[in-house]
Amino acid sequence: MEGLISGNDDALRTLYARFSRPVYTMGMRLLGTREAAEELTQDVFVTAWRKAARFDPARGRLSTWLMTIAHNLAIDRLRRETGVSRPTLVLVDEVPETAGVDEEDVLIERDAAMRALSSLSEAERRLLARAYFRGLTAREIAEADGIPLGTVKTRLRSALIKVRRANEDKERP
Amino acid sequence: MNCLAVRDQLAEQALGALPSSEATGVERHLAWCAACRREAEDLQRAAATFALTLAPSDPPDDLRDRVVDAVRSSAGGGSRPARRARSGGALVVAAMVAVSGLGWGAVMAGRAERFRERADEAIAQGNEASERFAGLIASPPFQDPENRVFMGTLSPTSGVGGGAAITLISPSIIDLAIVTVSGLPPARAAALPYTVTIADEAGNVLSVGKIKELDADGGARLARNFNRDLLGFTQVLVRDASGRIVMKGSVAPRAVVASPTP
Repeated sequence: MEGLISGNDDALRTLYARFSRPVYTMGMRLLGTREAAEELTQDVFVTAWRKAARFDPARGRLSTWLMTIAHNLAIDRLRRETGVSRPTLVLVDEVPETAGVDEEDVLIERDAAMRALSSLSEAERRLLARAYFRGLTAREIAEADGIPLGTVKTRLRSALIKVRRANEDKERP
Repeated sequence: MNCLAVRDQLAEQALGALPSSEATGVERHLAWCAACRREAEDLQRAAATFALTLAPSDPPDDLRDRVVDAVRSSAGGGSRPARRARSGGALVVAAMVAVSGLGWGAVMAGRAERFRERADEAIAQGNEASERFAGLIASPPFQDPENRVFMGTLSPTSGVGGGAAITLISPSIIDLAIVTVSGLPPARAAALPYTVTIADEAGNVLSVGKIKELDADGGARLARNFNRDLLGFTQVLVRDASGRIVMKGSVAPRAVVASPTP
């Protein structure tokens, strides 16, 4: 990251090697086409370069910082482009445990994320996935499930807090 | 929106599922409320965990070179010089240390009472604050010819107090605003917190922060990084807790001290 801050091309290539796959994957899942996923990947690394000085390793992992940028950019794009179809719902339960030829560090990141989400019940994971991957608002979820809006909001918040705590436990020495 | 209402929305915001109609109010609040912003960032990081669980798709082989080219192009060609790679956080801390080290309190000790009685000296107080920025603007970020420095004094609307403001506008590091005030009535607890804002001509307003307590001279200092361009934000206002403007001023371009003439 120091290298990225100082504008070092090698550092950028290293960062790309580590994180391009999850960023591109998010583009594919949320935006639905290779072209859009490639543009998103490009935009994420340009944004990360611009905001490199804002990354604070004491506040969280580099991977989650980059994925937050990726998700925000993808959602912005979805909102800008009316008519873009919503991505297919992807539930973590349906995600295979291992996939192909990942670099070790990518696997470690993914393994850590899977473990953090294991702190959630299946219902909580599905609820968060509907919002995160499909962009369903709390109101839309409440109406679809026939439960009060306040209940959905509370559940979303408490589930996210569980994940945050799991991440904190994981990062604690 | 108050903090309670905003926090009710932060989970949806972190998940990218907040309706646009509600997102604007939340983002406006997050622009000035550090506590809610921190909470929002924490929840966003938790939400990002989800993304990392997806079974990966492989990007095309040539995408890496395109990304590197795009970053280079964004940087204006070539690598960014390391000397300019200073984080905004470090800069604001350095700036606060510099301002704090100017002996402001010592200079003002015993004089605040006189300033309250003599409105014209409040102006002098502002000018003095401005002079005291001189030490700060001798520091490297304020000397970089690519960074623009704006300064000005703040005048009281009721004859009490004075202050100064400085903004640093940079193409490569996070912009910065610092405001110092003194001579505000320390005994008027009801006036706290004071809110300091900067605004542009289009009416866009940014918060520099809140003054929650005053020192014995009725003084305080605020500094804030802005992840946006501060160019055009020249009007500085200090309001008391009731929203009444107690001090105002504007900043104007200032030549960088000791920099070579172009």
